Amino acid sequence: MSWWRDEAREPLRRNLGLVGVLLALFAIGAFIRPELYGDPKWVTNNVLVIMTQAAAVGVVAIGMTFVIIGGGIDLSVGALIALCGVWATTYATQSYGTVGMIFTALAVGIGAGAVNGLLVAYGKLVPFIATLAMLVAARGLAAQISGKQTQISNDAFINSIATTRILGIPMLVIMLLVVAALGWVLLNRTTFGRRTIAVGGNPEAARLAGINVRGHTLALYALSGLCAGIAAIMLTSLATSAQAAAADLYELDAIAAAIIGGTLLSGGRGTIVGSLLGVIVFSTITNLFAIANLPTEVQNMVKGAIIVTAVLVQQLRFDSVTKFARRHGLTRAGAPPEAAAATPAP
Amino acid sequence: MSELLMDAPASGAQEAGEVVLRLSGVVKTFPGVRALDGVELEVRAGEVHCLLGQNGAGKSTLIKVLAGVHRPDEGRVEWLGEQVSFGSPQAAMKAGIATIYQELDLVDYLSVAENVYLGHEPRSLGFVQKGTAARQTRELLGRLGHGEIPARRLVRSLPAAGKQIVSMARALSHEAKLIIMDEPSAVLAHDEVGNLFRIIRELTAQGIAVVYISHRLEEIREIGDRVTVLKDGRTSAVNLPARTTPTRDLVSRMTGRSIEYVFPPRAQQEPGEKEHGSSRPAAAQAAGQGTPHVPLLTVRGLGRTGEFADVDLDVRAGEIVGIAGLVGSGRSELLETVFGARTPDAGTVAVGGRPLPPGNVAAAVRAGLGMAPEERKSQALLLGEPIYRNMTLTTFSGFATAGFTDAGREQAEAMKIADLLELRPRDVRRAVRTLSGGNQQKVVVGRWLLGGTRLLLLDEPTRGVDVGARAELYQVIRGLADQGVGVLLVSSEVPEVLGLSDRVLVMREGRVVHTAPAEGLAEEDVLDLVMAGSLTATDERTEEQA
Amino acid sequence: MTKQNPDVSRRRLFLGAGAVGAGALLAACTSNEAPPAVAQTKGADNTNPNAAAGKAVTIGFSAPAADHGWIAAITNNAKAQAAAYSDVTFKQVEAGKDAAAQRAALDTLIAEKPDVIVLLPHDGKELNAFGLKAMEAGIPVVNLDRAFPDALAYRLQIKGDNYGMGVAAGHYIGKTLKAKGVASPVIGEIAGMDELELTQERSQGFAAALKTYGFTVANRRAARFTADSGQKEAANMLQALPKIDAIWNHDDDQGIGVLAAITAASRSEFFMVGGAGSKKAIEDIAADKTVLKATVTYSPSMASSAISLARLLGQGRGMADLVELAVPKEIILASETITKENASSYLKLGF
Repeated sequence: MSWWRDEAREPLRRNLGLVGVLLALFAIGAFIRPELYGDPKWVTNNVLVIMTQAAAVGVVAIGMTFVIIGGGIDLSVGALIALCGVWATTYATQSYGTVGMIFTALAVGIGAGAVNGLLVAYGKLVPFIATLAMLVAARGLAAQISGKQTQISNDAFINSIATTRILGIPMLVIMLLVVAALGWVLLNRTTFGRRTIAVGGNPEAARLAGINVRGHTLALYALSGLCAGIAAIMLTSLATSAQAAAADLYELDAIAAAIIGGTLLSGGRGTIVGSLLGVIVFSTITNLFAIANLPTEVQNMVKGAIIVTAVLVQQLRFDSVTKFARRHGLTRAGAPPEAAAATPAP
Repeated sequence: MSELLMDAPASGAQEAGEVVLRLSGVVKTFPGVRALDGVELEVRAGEVHCLLGQNGAGKSTLIKVLAGVHRPDEGRVEWLGEQVSFGSPQAAMKAGIATIYQELDLVDYLSVAENVYLGHEPRSLGFVQKGTAARQTRELLGRLGHGEIPARRLVRSLPAAGKQIVSMARALSHEAKLIIMDEPSAVLAHDEVGNLFRIIRELTAQGIAVVYISHRLEEIREIGDRVTVLKDGRTSAVNLPARTTPTRDLVSRMTGRSIEYVFPPRAQQEPGEKEHGSSRPAAAQAAGQGTPHVPLLTVRGLGRTGEFADVDLDVRAGEIVGIAGLVGSGRSELLETVFGARTPDAGTVAVGGRPLPPGNVAAAVRAGLGMAPEERKSQALLLGEPIYRNMTLTTFSGFATAGFTDAGREQAEAMKIADLLELRPRDVRRAVRTLSGGNQQKVVVGRWLLGGTRLLLLDEPTRGVDVGARAELYQVIRGLADQGVGVLLVSSEVPEVLGLSDRVLVMREGRVVHTAPAEGLAEEDVLDLVMAGSLTATDERTEEQA
Repeated sequence: MTKQNPDVSRRRLFLGAGAVGAGALLAACTSNEAPPAVAQTKGADNTNPNAAAGKAVTIGFSAPAADHGWIAAITNNAKAQAAAYSDVTFKQVEAGKDAAAQRAALDTLIAEKPDVIVLLPHDGKELNAFGLKAMEAGIPVVNLDRAFPDALAYRLQIKGDNYGMGVAAGHYIGKTLKAKGVASPVIGEIAGMDELELTQERSQGFAAALKTYGFTVANRRAARFTADSGQKEAANMLQALPKIDAIWNHDDDQGIGVLAAITAASRSEFFMVGGAGSKKAIEDIAADKTVLKATVTYSPSMASSAISLARLLGQGRGMADLVELAVPKEIILASETITKENASSYLKLGF
């Protein structure tokens, strides 16, 4: 039992909780439409549809997880997906073929992400403001480039990504899993991941340990931009088109997924698996509401309730810690009272 | 103890008011520490009662007991003749005890009047009577002689002195009969202090008692009526006359520990000549390479506007140099500037004769510097992360292969350090949060040992560390010096600086005012230098009066 | 290629060229020049007496900044139609992001005293006061698509018929299924943004028309007028309904995503009706290679007509074919149903 209760197992407990939520959602579906859920072929296909729909948000949620663990937030990812998609599907870009389109999507994503990073790390802007400005500007630029039209992708390869299956698994799902696996390795097994945790967990400690906090912050936003670029390719392929209004509110879905997956909004802590499960939970809810033929507004209310519940659960844990600290006079930055340093007489 | 209990104000400056507050035998313990261990205090209406004591003597805890933040474990608190026990700061406030903390607790984006009446706004039918609040605030400010402060102005736009006056107006708005001021002069410029004193005199003339805490003896002489001295959580003297008690007596009652710290013996060899020894780690040898008599650290003319100026200092390999000074004397800022965490306005820092680029922590770390900052938790540790990851925070890239971290090797290396420093518990995968203060500090020091650091900068290394662990930390620090590591140490506790260092620098108001070998220095002298009591001058005056 | 130190110089050249090339490529990629958008205009027609040049007229125009193809087409059409007349001066003002911004822009327009104002308001209710003000100042106002509640606030209103769109789609689906002899069909509906009144009107019309055949909607999803949201809702709806007979998708732009989802799921047992009448949809219907068999129009061509009528208003002329000497006060465009049979004649009206 102590193994289970250990602080280090907290992410595991939370992730199993999310798996529990998924199973509960499945059970609700089976109760509402038993004729569908009784068919294994349909169930398999439905799982793949859920995963396919989770693919683009999932990729940006993984980039978002890095940014949030690193102590920031990126509100611009939805707008960047739109911008990358639109830029990659102009007549001019399409004339360069598949490689040109993919290169454009990724380069625009990294570039815009790097601008976010510069504003935050070197311009000393609050991440919320810097990326909010990017959100507005990127949507504007996307509308400008597209002339407000829906741009249709005529590239056979790009369009085929969404319809290709390898061993029965959709290409987009494979892409999502590959990005998640790379993200997991990057976070847990590399110096980049370690720096991310240090920079987000305690930027001052990281700076005083000689870590280049600003450079790393810049890299994190560029990484998030890269993920937006990948997601743009995925979404363009899914919709065989791109437009300035695409990927509406994806930033909120990605942030919410990271949070219900256990990523601490204050930074320093989070898991890739949790974010991935978070995205799948949201995608499953959307799917379940379609299957139950319930209107979208109810679906949004349920999503909101799930986010609030997840954050409350997170706070309950920290509340007990804070209360303990307050009771012992450890309120200011965790510093003990002067008295604690006094030497007691024998 | 009998000699301590001099009764009645000997100065007779003002006729004694009745006793408003009396503490007897007050005890307050925290896990591992007896912060207050039998405190006596008697405050009369209309007097300025000064509280004196070194850092860690228990002043802050005492204030918090009076302000209702802490409840005493034992002893009696009598307020206006009745025994009381305040359950909350609000209860103390309501009873008429107001506290003005060093970090003024005002809301920046509210107006002066809103701050003064925060939490007890004049109301009618549930609506705040803004007009009434503003008018009453103007009256209060007028009473304080500062009618010129506009009641509707945002507090944010006021200077520190103005904010202090707003705090006092707030105290008056609660009809406080006792106002506690925690180092009120620390945030003020010199000419503003006179104004503060004028206000204090007006308050006492209205029969309000003031408990005044300050490290500056000259202020106590000027404004105080009686003095109570705290040492190690006990009252070492009560009700001394503030103007006439000789400085030597005051200082002696603050110093002289009831238990001695256990300091490891100093090295026998002359520091800086150890390079010629044979059994030392590679780091130390590297430090002394080529030019044995070049000091490890050379600081020349270092300055930052408003913090410190013109600092020269050397640290040789194997030497412990201690800096004594009060909070605000510029000592922590100096340390951070040497480390590159702040950019200097003037001067140079060189390691082994090579100048460091200013304001570049990474370069300092590469040159072999390491720092354990003052605020361990907020500046040094990732509390939720395991011990080993905290220890390898500066070195994990070195243990990594092609960007992939090697957790196994990191744990093994961290384990070695944990053994060396006798870290408890020894499980390096546990979260740092679960460690005691002393062991957390060992993790921070251990971090730099892993990196082969040649010069360690320690800012208040024993803050929040209990006695037993302190002795261990002292052993660790001395042990490092014996291996050839240079140490630059900052501490508010004079005995610590004297006991641990080879050489001592005294800082006051941003300048180094004294440098001497630690062995020749007496605690009283250093304390006097630190507090600007100007031992000789004051004594001359008192002698003249006598 | 020079011979000296080929290794380094070649690498540098490559890197340098790569960086410069990347920048140049990206910059070039914003170009959307070809092929040019074809606007829906009515050319000069010598047999129509209205075409004859008359008094010079200045027409002020304002429409919201568009994030959707339909509104973009509105502006394009208005501009192009105005350019077709030698006697019309076209003065466009930016409508900004919301009703307040549009009101401010329009105030400056009034000050310039145009002969007629053609206006697609952000919100009919919020800009009603402006309509009154302009009318009082003696400038006739032509309201495009989003009605003012106050009849005094406009001289002419020209709009599409959202309810009628739903009715047209419902009748097409009903008739086709009846002809096929399907008894209790499974009908899906992919609506637009649910918070808009026009979406509600479309859905109401659709349900009412279906009811006359005894049919109901089995599953209704609301998308966001974007292709990616259409794709998402369609993919999930296809899961909810393993067998479908017909789908009505409210908007041809989001229909691109709906069709992609249908293709990806390899479903073809049903037919689909679109909405609005985009060029791509009309082409698809003509080609008859997808499940999209029809679309019901809500054509942005109304902007072209609005300019033509505004010109007549400014010149004090009536519509030549009508007896009346003045332009009517209200014109509601009928929602037309485009199928394979008539697609070729509508192609030029697609946007």
